[in-house]
Amino acid sequence: MTLTKDHIGGLVFLCLSVAYGYYAGQIPLLPGDEFEPFHARTVPNTLALLGGALSLALLVTASRAREDRLSLRGYDFGLVGWLLALTVLFALALTWLGFLLSTILFLLGGYWLLGVRRVKTLLLASVPFAVGLWLILSQLLEIYLAPGRLFSAWWGG
Amino acid sequence: MWDGIFTGLSTAVMPFNLMMVVVGCFAGTFIGMLPGLGPISAVALMIPITYGLDPASGIILMAGVYYGAVFGGSTSSILVNAPGCASTVVTAFDGYPLAQQKQAGKALALAAYSSFTGGTVGAIILLFAAPALASVSLSFQSSDYFALMILGLTAVAAFSGKGQVLKALLMTVFGLMIATVGTDLTSGTTRFTFGSVDLIDGVSFLLLAMATFALTEVVMTVLKGQHREEEPDMDMASLGSMKLSREEVEEVAPTIARSSVFGFIIGVLPGAGATIASFLAYGLERNLASAKEKLKFGKGALRGLAAPESANNAASTGSFVPLLTLGIPGSGTTAIMLGALIAYGIQPGPRLFMDNPDVFWSVIISMYFGNLVLLILNLPLIPYISRLLVIPRPILIPLILFFSITGVYLVSFNSFDIHMMVLITVVAIFLKLLEFPMAPMLLGFILGGIMEKNLSRALTMTDGSFSFLWDRPLTLCITLIAVLVLLLPLASAWYRRSLTPGAEAAVKEGEG
Repeated sequence: MTLTKDHIGGLVFLCLSVAYGYYAGQIPLLPGDEFEPFHARTVPNTLALLGGALSLALLVTASRAREDRLSLRGYDFGLVGWLLALTVLFALALTWLGFLLSTILFLLGGYWLLGVRRVKTLLLASVPFAVGLWLILSQLLEIYLAPGRLFSAWWGG
Repeated sequence: MWDGIFTGLSTAVMPFNLMMVVVGCFAGTFIGMLPGLGPISAVALMIPITYGLDPASGIILMAGVYYGAVFGGSTSSILVNAPGCASTVVTAFDGYPLAQQKQAGKALALAAYSSFTGGTVGAIILLFAAPALASVSLSFQSSDYFALMILGLTAVAAFSGKGQVLKALLMTVFGLMIATVGTDLTSGTTRFTFGSVDLIDGVSFLLLAMATFALTEVVMTVLKGQHREEEPDMDMASLGSMKLSREEVEEVAPTIARSSVFGFIIGVLPGAGATIASFLAYGLERNLASAKEKLKFGKGALRGLAAPESANNAASTGSFVPLLTLGIPGSGTTAIMLGALIAYGIQPGPRLFMDNPDVFWSVIISMYFGNLVLLILNLPLIPYISRLLVIPRPILIPLILFFSITGVYLVSFNSFDIHMMVLITVVAIFLKLLEFPMAPMLLGFILGGIMEKNLSRALTMTDGSFSFLWDRPLTLCITLIAVLVLLLPLASAWYRRSLTPGAEAAVKEGEG
């Protein structure tokens, strides 16, 4: 049997609808809510049923053509993985290193991952941009950008 | 109505708002030129900026970006045969051959004139149609709204999925599911938060829009290896003259007029949007042409360029009609604008016309200004704006990535939002690889809360009976249209499948 994109999508949404329906049943109700025509579970229960029915319909009517199989060839998942990891690290760095340093490091990392190797280009495309943006945000627009926990701890702030 | 137009005019001509139109058109043109980034991504990238502005200025900026992005998409279609967005794919059919014949300047000028006329005709019809529709919809009750939202969701699902209605419907349900995360406003209980404090307020619209349309689109270009492509080499000296001869103007004038009105009508239909309008207008023009002229289509026919360009801009204007009057967006881009309006505390719909006339009218008036800016300022500056495309992709991609992330972070100052964005992006990439459309999900998410509120009211009024769907003739009528919209593509898909392969080929041949 050929497992096509429609089959995978249908199965994923079926699992999602079942899990959603299970957690919809866990939503706490206020006393007497079960006698009301509408309560916090009404819409989630309906959506779980609708999602399940549509997923089943997709599974039943799914294309079985070989050209509709999911092909992951030709995609650069490694590079995307690194970029997303860099984004997660950027979020962590924002808390610990503050906006300015995190931005410089994020941009340097991003350019490097995409193949820029010239140190001059790396620095010129990141440091002036980050400093300029930081000045606009903190000095011009007067937005408070926390200095980062590491520096606060260092200077006892 | 004239009072409203005057209010809109006085708001739109304020120096700051005029500046927003100009900035929006420029930013939109640039983003729209980048392959992979269309009007939806361009408008999504603007949301964080608009949060600091008043509602009228914010929506004016977004409308400017929308027009600019469609125009930018046309420019890259004509110059490098790389449509920036789906609605300008048809532009490349005849625009690029013209550029190859050293008539890029003429093609760009014709695209700009057609877009201007399309947008202007659209804005004029909108000026009269929107208030009329808004005053009718003032008599709507919660049951009508509920049915209307069902119609909006089914229409978007039916039209947006390239015939894959079930996938689009599933994405709509997925969006509605995400909308239920957080505190239930009617009872105050929390739903699907799994004990996380960060989810008590639900998933933010800004975060979802930026993750699915800005971050995902950029990451998809990396996934497909498009960042390794050479920057387009555009020889500005070979653009050629931008002037059109009298004969050429006479040839395209009826085409532009026809396609503008046609595009506007298609744009008003929820879910149809600029892409379908441009394809249909091109097809219509080709069918109307004589046998001799038909042969020119695809080889640089001026009518083949003018038709989709007028239609897509008129349709972009048309898609504002359901947004401004009924609160139901006609396209993915207007869905993002609806979310932005809701974030401002403004409820789009018939009351918008009464409660916020400055927003309602200034958007309509600024649309006209937007078209004017594109014609007067952007067209002569195209050779310079397109130089920005020479910035190497390995520099441009991290910068767009950075703007998408910080756009969300600088509103909430919560790094949890960035983690959430990464998670949503991973899910969105997976769904895109399985060919699930994203726009119905966002629409479901945006309309979810309002739909639940209206359903709650309607069910409480009828004591739990679903008879509200057929008690009022208006509700019944809207519900029946929704059912029809839903069943038509399903029935046609079933009919196609039931045909033998040979018969199906014959049907396709007959359509072409």
